[in-house]
Amino acid sequence: MDQESLVQALRKAVQELMPQVDGVIALRRVGDAAAAHLYQPGDDLSDLTVAAQFPLPTSVRLIQARYPDKTFGVVVRGCDERQLIELAKRQQINLERLRLIGVACNAEQAQGCKCDLPFPSKLDFGEAVDGVPQDFLDEFLAKSRQERLEFWKHAFSKCLKCYGCRNICPECFCKQCVLEEGLWVKTGAVPPPFPMFHLIRAMHTIGKCIACGECERTCPADIPLTLLYKLLRRDVESVFGYHAGADPNEAPLMDSTIFLADMELLRPSQKG
Amino acid sequence: MEYRHVPSVCTYCGVGCGLFLEVLDGQAVGTYPDPSHPVSEGHLCIKGWNAAGFVHHAGRLKTPLIRKEGVLVEASWDEALDLVARELKRIRDDAGPDALAFLCSAKATNEANYVLQKLARAVIGTNNVDHCARL
Amino acid sequence: MSLPSPTAQPAYQPKIIGFLCNWCSYAGADLAGTSRMQYPPNIRIVRVRCSGRVSAELVLKTFHEGADGILVLGCHIGDCHYIDGNHRTSKRIPMLRQLLDYAGIEPERLRLEWVSAAEGDRFARIVGEFTDQIRQIGPIKRVMVT
Repeated sequence: MDQESLVQALRKAVQELMPQVDGVIALRRVGDAAAAHLYQPGDDLSDLTVAAQFPLPTSVRLIQARYPDKTFGVVVRGCDERQLIELAKRQQINLERLRLIGVACNAEQAQGCKCDLPFPSKLDFGEAVDGVPQDFLDEFLAKSRQERLEFWKHAFSKCLKCYGCRNICPECFCKQCVLEEGLWVKTGAVPPPFPMFHLIRAMHTIGKCIACGECERTCPADIPLTLLYKLLRRDVESVFGYHAGADPNEAPLMDSTIFLADMELLRPSQKG
Repeated sequence: MEYRHVPSVCTYCGVGCGLFLEVLDGQAVGTYPDPSHPVSEGHLCIKGWNAAGFVHHAGRLKTPLIRKEGVLVEASWDEALDLVARELKRIRDDAGPDALAFLCSAKATNEANYVLQKLARAVIGTNNVDHCARL
Repeated sequence: MSLPSPTAQPAYQPKIIGFLCNWCSYAGADLAGTSRMQYPPNIRIVRVRCSGRVSAELVLKTFHEGADGILVLGCHIGDCHYIDGNHRTSKRIPMLRQLLDYAGIEPERLRLEWVSAAEGDRFARIVGEFTDQIRQIGPIKRVMVT
């Protein structure tokens, strides 16, 4: 099914769902890009679209917070579905009041995001394509410890402290963010002194990050953020068997009462 | 109920990064960088990320203000512009054109800045022209 | 008698910061002390209510401020005064060690151990081992940017 037919079929499905809900949250063409929009009964759906970018779950959280008693349809990609599930675990989203329509991304969209799972578990439109191989993770691990240090010191030295990575992330919802506390991240210092800011943020993504890549795409300094977050995500999956966004009934990893019995399980991957 | 994104341009500096204003029930609540913008390519600096903050701010000016007997009072544009023109002429006549300086702004267009420096040079007769970025 | 040269560098003495939980490991450290057990004086102990309150930012800031090694000691799993505080520690510290490794910082600089109130000897042994290890690894100044 080509992209145009997919979008046509999707619009039809949204039209059919509309009478059962108070509105449908989906991407809409805005200029030459796409952004989240709340379509309501009677609205023209001709500019409803699909796109690889845009952190839709943030919009869902905002709209649900304003209208907690209403029910909304949501057109979700793989990343959206997984982020909504992680947000629901932390009481930021009410999944009961959402009706999801799942859409797969095509190979080109998946490539653009370096996505390893470009479709939601509830798939209604589009064909599931293979995830993009994540070779760059092992390529990075081939570097020596000194090379890694130089790599990140250089990357983080370009940081403007725009907070774009934090702002755009759908999983970042804290009203008081530790990155804004002068105790941890010195105010008035650009770039933030290594390792504060970036390593703190990396730790806070653990168990939440599904690697949508929005942070890296919006970084004005081209810092390879998803490289770091994906390395940690891979450990979370292999060591704890925890896949962010997979199961809404699973407690959030870092806050749950499961524990790592063998603390030596994680071994440093490179000596010297 | 309303939730939409409105394409716009950041007002904070001369780069003019493309952004979408996030609008919830008629209020600008945030910004999102426009990935298709040829200048900003989906990036924003910290000011752009917070550019929605002043839109509905209580302290935002809505009319010109003129200081009368030490107190700032709301005035009409005509009253304010008449006062400015009168005073610029008076100062130029009393103290000479170089008693005045003109500061252009990154928030204005190139065309507006051009007109301002023309006013300074051709109308008032001074070369005291500079830019807010040099403050 | 030869005096040390005034321009000679002092020998590197590792700075170890220990975050010890109030209920188990701090009591264990106290026991080591009252039993007159010997352990290197390099460790500076900070008492916390629970090892689970030792956040990633606290550890990173402590390295940033010049700690060459950080020891986090808590209650054994199942014995936490707050029931499951140490469950969080048990995941956070190993993941932070992984992150340090990816960032090019020696993960051995951060160590997590469970020490009960009765294990004064275990406390002394861990501190001795850790101090030696950090002496081998070298000062943190190499990796931090202030």
